[in-house]
Amino acid sequence: MNRSRVIVVQIGLLVFSAVMAFSQEDPESVSAMLGPRGEGLIIARCAVCHSADLITQQRLSRTRWEATIEKMKHWGAEISDQEADLLIRYLSARYHPNAPANVPPLSHEIGKSEPLKQEPQAQRPVIGVAARGAGVFEHNCQACHGGGAMGGMGPRLAKNPILKLDVLFRETVLYGRGPMPAWSSVLSEQDIADVHEWLLTR
Amino acid sequence: MKGSGELAKFSRRRWLKTLLGFGAGLAMHPAKFLAWAADMTPARDESTLTVRVSRPFDAETPVRAFTSFLTPNDHFFVRSHFGPPSAETIGESQWTLHVGGAVERSNEFTMESLKQFEPVTITAVLQCSGNGRAYHRPKAPGVQWERGAVGNAQWTGVRLRDVLQAAGVRAEARHVMFQGADRPVVATVPLFVRSIPLEKALHPDTLLAYEMNGRPLPLLHGAPLRVITPGWMAESCIKWLTHIEVREDEASGYFMQTAYRVPVKSEQKDTGRTDNATAPVEVMPVKSLISSPEDGQAVMAGGVRIKGVAWAGETRIAKVEISIDEGNTWQTAQLVGDDRLYAWRQWQFLWQATVQGTFAIVCRATDERGHVQPAATSWNPSGFLWNGWDRVTVRVHPHE
Repeated sequence: MNRSRVIVVQIGLLVFSAVMAFSQEDPESVSAMLGPRGEGLIIARCAVCHSADLITQQRLSRTRWEATIEKMKHWGAEISDQEADLLIRYLSARYHPNAPANVPPLSHEIGKSEPLKQEPQAQRPVIGVAARGAGVFEHNCQACHGGGAMGGMGPRLAKNPILKLDVLFRETVLYGRGPMPAWSSVLSEQDIADVHEWLLTR
Repeated sequence: MKGSGELAKFSRRRWLKTLLGFGAGLAMHPAKFLAWAADMTPARDESTLTVRVSRPFDAETPVRAFTSFLTPNDHFFVRSHFGPPSAETIGESQWTLHVGGAVERSNEFTMESLKQFEPVTITAVLQCSGNGRAYHRPKAPGVQWERGAVGNAQWTGVRLRDVLQAAGVRAEARHVMFQGADRPVVATVPLFVRSIPLEKALHPDTLLAYEMNGRPLPLLHGAPLRVITPGWMAESCIKWLTHIEVREDEASGYFMQTAYRVPVKSEQKDTGRTDNATAPVEVMPVKSLISSPEDGQAVMAGGVRIKGVAWAGETRIAKVEISIDEGNTWQTAQLVGDDRLYAWRQWQFLWQATVQGTFAIVCRATDERGHVQPAATSWNPSGFLWNGWDRVTVRVHPHE
C-alpha cells in the first residue's frame, strides 16, 4: 500500500468518525435541548390521565418508550406524530436504562419551559375560525371540559362568562389557572382564537 | 359509607392531600410541576405509605410494618388503574351487584340482600403482580414497586360460590368475569375487566369481601365490595365490584388478553412485546421478606433478631433460610405465629453478629411443594412475579 493510499484511508476514517460523532446524539444535550418542549407536552398530553411521576420513575430503552407512546396514542392520548417523535427522543435521552435513579429535576437546569414557537405576530388581532376550533377543542380540551364543552373534570365552557373576556380567556389557556395547566407549549395563538370562536357558538 | 373512624379519616386526609397536590401541581409552571413530581419519586409518606404514583394513587407499605401479622388498613398498599369511582356509583343507596351471563337466573343484589349468604372470614396475602418490578433487569415499564406492594389482611364476605349457585351456573360456563365501578379519565381507555376460571370462582375460599381487618372495606381498597381470590395475585381481586358475568371464554380486552400475562417460556428480550405464548398471571410464587432489621440499619454486635414473613400462594411455607454470605451457606429460621393457608407465615432468626462491619442478610423460603425462592426471578416483559431472595444490609457496631 503506497503512502497516498494510506492518507486517503486515514482521511476517510477521520471523516467517518466525525460523521459518527455528529450523528450520535449525546443524551444530556438532547434532554436539555428538548426539555422545555418535552415537559410542556408531558403536562398537556400525559398528565390528563396520570401524574408525571409515573413517567419520571421509568428507565426504558428507546424501543420500549416507542411502544409506550404507541400504546398511549392507541388509548386516546392526543399526541401528534411530531409530538410523539419529540417525546420519544426526549424520554429516551433522559430516562434511559443507564440513567441514575434520581434524575435531577429539569427546572434546575433550564428555568422555564419554552412556549410553542408562534407564527410571526401579526399587528392586528388573530381572527378565530369556529369550524377549526371544534377540532382543536376535541383534541386538547375535551378530556377535561367534556364533550360539547358541557363540563367534566374541568368547568363547563359553553355559555361560560369567561368567553366574554377575551384577554382573560387567552391568558388562562396560555399560562394556566388553578388546576388547569399552561398550554403555551402546545397551542398557537390561532388555535386559541379558533377554540374561543367555536365556544361562542355553543 | 359508614367507614367512620380512623380508616375513613385516613382516606379523607389522603385524598385531600392527593387532590391538593394535584391541583397545586397543575397550577405550577410545567418545569416546577415535573420537579415536584420528581421529588415525589420515591417520596416517603411521613408515617404510613411510600407514594409511587400520586394520581391515580399508588403507594406501597414500608417493610418495617410487616413485623405485625395483619397489615393495618391504613398501612396497606394501594393500587388501581383509574382511582376510586365517584360516590354516586358506590354509595349505599345506589350500589348494586349484577350477576348475569351463562346463568339460569340473572340476579341483582343490594348489600343487604348479599349479606343473607353465610359470612366467611379468611386471612390472606394480597400482592400486586408488579411487586418487586424495580429489581428486574432490564427494567420493565410500569410502577416501580420495590418490596411493599403486598400485605396480609383478614377478609370477611360471602362465598362467590354461593352467589353463583343462587343464580344457577349453566353447563357451558368456564370463566367468571368481574367489573368494578372505576372509570378511566378518557373514555377510549379500556375498562379494567378481568376473569378467573370457573374452578377458582367456585372454590369455597374465593370471597366477595365487604370487610377488611374487621372494618368496612375502605374506599381505596374497593368499598363496598371486592373480590378476594386467596393465593392469587391481586389483579383478580377486582375492587368496587358491580358486575359479575359468567362466560364460556376468558374476558376480552386489554387487561385480560394483553396485560397481566407472562410468557409460558422465560425469555431475555427487551422488545416490549413477546412472540411466545402467554398465560394470565394467577398463583403467587413462594416469597419471603425481611421486615427487621431495616435496610441500612446499624445494629449492636451480639445476638441480632432477624424477623420477616413468607408466603406461598395456594400452599404453605415449609422452610425459611438465612444467609450472611450471599447464599454460600444457609441456616434455617424458626417459623412462628399463626399457620394458615393463604396467610403469610412469620419467622425469626437469632444471628450471632460477632464481627463488626457491613453485612448483607439474605433470606429465601421453600414451600410445601418444594418450590424454592430463587436468587433472581426470570425476566418477563412486564416485570411481574418478582420473588428473588430478599436482602438487607446492616452495619454491625461493637458493644460499648
